[in-house]
Amino acid sequence: MDGNISFAFLPALPPALGPAALFGSLLLAGLFGGELARRLKLPRLLGWLLAGLLLGQAGPWLPPGWSLHPLLGETRLFFDVAVGLILFDLGRRLDLTWFKRDRSLLAAALLESALAFAAMAGVLCLFGFTRVEAGLAAAIGLSTSPAVVLLVAREFRAEGQVTERTLALVAINTLLAFLTATTLLSVAHAENAAPWHKTLLHPLYLLLGSVLLGSLAARLVLWGARLLGKGPESKFSQFILLAGMLLAAVGLAHAFQLSVFLALLVFGLACRQWDSRYALLNVDLGGAAQLFYIVLFVLTGASLPLAAVLAAGLPVLAYLAARSLGKAAGVMLTAPFSRITWRQHAWLSLALLPMSGVAIALVHDLTSLYPQFGERLGNLVLAAVVLLEFLGPLAVQAAFKGAGESRPEGDEHA
Amino acid sequence: MLEFKSVSPYTLGVELELQVINPHTQDLTRGGPDLLRALEKVAHPGEIKPEITESMIELNSSPHARHDSLLEELHAMRDAVVHTAGSLNLAIAGGGTHPFHRWHERRIFPTERFQQLSSLYGYLAKQFTVFGQHIHVACESGDDAVYLTHQLSRYIPHFIALSAASPFSQGQDTSFETSRLHAVSAFPLSGHMPPVSTWAGFEEFFAKMLGYGIIGSIKDFYWDIRPKPEFGTVEVRICDTPLEVDTAAALAAFVQALAFWLLVERPYPADRVEEGLYLVYGYNRFQATRFGFDATLVDPRSQQSLVLRDDLLATLERLQPFADILGSRTPLARLAAMAGSGANGSAWLRARHEESGALEDVVRHSAHCWAGGV
Repeated sequence: MDGNISFAFLPALPPALGPAALFGSLLLAGLFGGELARRLKLPRLLGWLLAGLLLGQAGPWLPPGWSLHPLLGETRLFFDVAVGLILFDLGRRLDLTWFKRDRSLLAAALLESALAFAAMAGVLCLFGFTRVEAGLAAAIGLSTSPAVVLLVAREFRAEGQVTERTLALVAINTLLAFLTATTLLSVAHAENAAPWHKTLLHPLYLLLGSVLLGSLAARLVLWGARLLGKGPESKFSQFILLAGMLLAAVGLAHAFQLSVFLALLVFGLACRQWDSRYALLNVDLGGAAQLFYIVLFVLTGASLPLAAVLAAGLPVLAYLAARSLGKAAGVMLTAPFSRITWRQHAWLSLALLPMSGVAIALVHDLTSLYPQFGERLGNLVLAAVVLLEFLGPLAVQAAFKGAGESRPEGDEHA
Repeated sequence: MLEFKSVSPYTLGVELELQVINPHTQDLTRGGPDLLRALEKVAHPGEIKPEITESMIELNSSPHARHDSLLEELHAMRDAVVHTAGSLNLAIAGGGTHPFHRWHERRIFPTERFQQLSSLYGYLAKQFTVFGQHIHVACESGDDAVYLTHQLSRYIPHFIALSAASPFSQGQDTSFETSRLHAVSAFPLSGHMPPVSTWAGFEEFFAKMLGYGIIGSIKDFYWDIRPKPEFGTVEVRICDTPLEVDTAAALAAFVQALAFWLLVERPYPADRVEEGLYLVYGYNRFQATRFGFDATLVDPRSQQSLVLRDDLLATLERLQPFADILGSRTPLARLAAMAGSGANGSAWLRARHEESGALEDVVRHSAHCWAGGV
């Protein structure tokens, strides 16, 4: 017998956390945060964010080799899937013919985006940013966070005109944010004397490619749904069809270096507008999607750059004020022509406040392409996201509650 | 004590409870308050009011002497409601129940009366998210109203079969032609008027019930037919809201023709209530809710069994001369055609479900039908 005992079956210490362990730990962290928020009658997603924020700041106290940061790079996929699901859902809910039946809503959608853009870009020019920089930051700021609005609406079971109109406006301003940001990116390329193929072809590839991918996915889903039929036994099959196609679309967008967000938003919108035979059941992605949403917010919390707030300083407050005022003005100006009340318009303006965590991803993409846009602009946008990540959910909660549209869990006999 | 308002006899009015639907999910939604607020700024005849939960609204027509003017008004009201709902991205549908909504998700309309009903009746209040048509027909006196209330009870099964439009409830086919009436039967003061034969007798009964503290007003009786002294009418409350307004107006014309015949010819004794009327009442009512036109009824007078469809066609035939005077030949012919072919709202809804297999599609078709397309 050999006297040496080999411990080669044991892992090297500390063990590496794979994606599964990471996903699970993020969920559990989210659970604690969510429970805490629920007890405080706050939106659960605030708890998830806070849990993430603590994890992100906990690095120095974790055992060596267990820092979260190296792993965050691996989590971009979770993030993309979650935001993809949300944008798909947002698109699928929006019937574009509503804008024809209520022109005041169309006016509100265009005005709030236009005024907010003009206000943000104007203010940033005053603070000495170049026009392209100011335009890019304004484009990113156009979008109201679809995730925050949808999740708060769902958690508090909000139903009514303020909720529905907020979701419609969010879909439009998110779409416009992508289009504007991509267009300005090509201007930025041009200003940096990039070769023409980069100036023109890259944005075009991004836009057309993402729209094409979303449209194709929608065609396939509708075709599949027709084959599967709509009986009670088809509900599960349609769920698998949709879940499968959603994940595939996210993956393909990655593989082809397209915009996951634009592709999935178009996917959802096309599923609704093209389904003339109503082949697609109203499948609820439910609990499965919910897990990704929790991870999304924990990750967002973990990657919130708190330092950016101090670095950004005064301009960020001006940027946020301009954004809020622009949006509110756009919405309120259409109130006299609308079928809903002034008060409802005011709540609607408030609900548009949250800024999208997607902005973090956009800034990362931008600064990795163009480091010279870098710090100052990046800090400004990120600081705005940090502030609104916490204020936004509260604003949406207050808006839906104030409009009398939400009903918290357990409140069955109200 | 309970003064019966005297109005021009045989004038008609209807109330229609309607479903407010989210066109994305095809489920009920709390669009009632927003819709009512928006309708305040839209010119329309009649009145549009809240109902017990926020997913309901109620159309009230004005009084009409004839069917054609009632129908015209209902068309105008429907168009205003459908158009306004469209601008709020809401859909409106008829039918006695929503096929798959879950009652506990409903929200009580925040008015004092509805909140009181909710705290008194608990879950029954939310389960009362069912949609009926009430038909008022005017009488000259309280005695006439009492007589008419009793005599019309013989025709309750006929109205059930004609108006039935609620085969589905909570996501299932109930096998009934109308499942809506089960929600009504749960209330302690549902059923029918007691066997009083004069207005004075009714007043005495009413005073006793007030004295016991069981009721506060006539509204607390959820009877299938009840006198409505402040309007000077008898109110038939048995019908499901039909899938479109034309049937709703035709049902009103049927009530009017029956009232005209019963009050002009007085074919049955008025000094007493025939015992048989209410001995067979519950059985006949059940048969009609379960089997519709194919129900087997017992005639309280001859004690013979008869098929509802045959008795309905014979009744419509008998009313012809009265319909001619009232100008309602066309609506009664419409009802006869429905009875002949078995084509009530429930048959139509089941056919739509058969086609697609999804209750969401049933709601979508139903809303399309209500909006005037078929």
